[in-house]
Amino acid sequence: METNFKMEITKYPEFDRVIFHGNIDIHASNYLQALPDNVANSKVKLDFSQVGRINSMGIALLLRLCKKIRDEKKAEIILTGVNTMHTMLFKTTGVFLLAAIER
Amino acid sequence: MRTITAIFKDDADRAQWAPCFRKFENLVQMLLVQDIPGKMAHFHEQCINPALFIISTRLYPVENPGLIKIIREFCPNSEFLLVAPPSDPFPPLDPLVYDNVRHLVIDMEEAATDGIDDSSLLYTVVNKLLEMAPLKIKDYLKPGTCIHEFRVTSTEQKEELISSLELLIGGEGPDVELLRQKGALLADEMLENAFYGAPRDEKGASRYEKGEQRLIHIHETILFRFGFDGACLAMEMEDNWGSLAPDTVLEYLAKNQESRDICEEMGGRGLFIIWRFLDHMHIHIEPGRQTVVGGQVKLITEENLSENKGFHITCFAN
Repeated sequence: METNFKMEITKYPEFDRVIFHGNIDIHASNYLQALPDNVANSKVKLDFSQVGRINSMGIALLLRLCKKIRDEKKAEIILTGVNTMHTMLFKTTGVFLLAAIER
Repeated sequence: MRTITAIFKDDADRAQWAPCFRKFENLVQMLLVQDIPGKMAHFHEQCINPALFIISTRLYPVENPGLIKIIREFCPNSEFLLVAPPSDPFPPLDPLVYDNVRHLVIDMEEAATDGIDDSSLLYTVVNKLLEMAPLKIKDYLKPGTCIHEFRVTSTEQKEELISSLELLIGGEGPDVELLRQKGALLADEMLENAFYGAPRDEKGASRYEKGEQRLIHIHETILFRFGFDGACLAMEMEDNWGSLAPDTVLEYLAKNQESRDICEEMGGRGLFIIWRFLDHMHIHIEPGRQTVVGGQVKLITEENLSENKGFHITCFAN
């Protein structure tokens, strides 16, 4: 799996989909800080299926991102493509308090 | 002789742990909480100072929050080790911060019925505390397991080091893959801490920005060690800053564990993640000289993953 971070945003009528690629760490900072400005829909799906490691810095960035999307854009956040490791990490650090996992 | 006093909630609690203490039978007194006031007075009269008090989490901190304070009045130099079965509720950590209790072993259920052997974590931790010696990664691994050690010279080595660790964990299947991913995350956090968290200036401020590329100074030591024996991955990172305070470690764990707020800038989150993804974490600090952060994580099926994690934070000369 690619380690360098990048992301793709696709806008559908019902939701915006953001696919993350690579590791989420300090190097994802600029991308994730700019992301809320690109959100237009009231539902945002964040896709982690192409994500490798997420470290503590990555968690801080994701928490900030989710708070901004929820509070400023008033949008619902759905997490997709989350593996066992991501689930453990999100549960431990409070990410699931801001975003729901897709069933 | 350095002796141990173990204290339990009731007869059932004591009976459950009794097999675990058979190996220490010359050293250990197994008491119930109601024996404590009389026993403390006896210790005081006879000038007896147990080196170590082992306390069941069924007793402290929830049911008898003042217990450590009472014991410390009579035995101010003793160490305290909490023991908990993995199936019990995890104790709150704030009282441990207040009472400066830095050791918690989550023991296996089977150990409590069949007794422990020399390789059990409880046996190892108790011996280390009696010897006043830090835990090493070899203590977690089967005898003869190869331990790989790398001297880190640049922040650019991070991915290469993580790949070396992932390669060591051979095999296929979801459990092995989960262990590889845990190992990679742990290595990432430990390296980040050594690169950017540990180096501090005279005022205690970080010397380097997170993510900054740098060569490790010739007088700076960052050693990364790991070993895998087929069932257990043990790993640790050593730096020569010794900038982490033992109290701070416990405060970070408690704050992150018990916080109900979503705070993106929570201090000590890296250390908290290290603890949560290890089965048992050890931290050894020689202030101004050395910090070692490490532990073990076992190859285990997803459905058997435990939420309860132990720790062992020591601060004495190596």
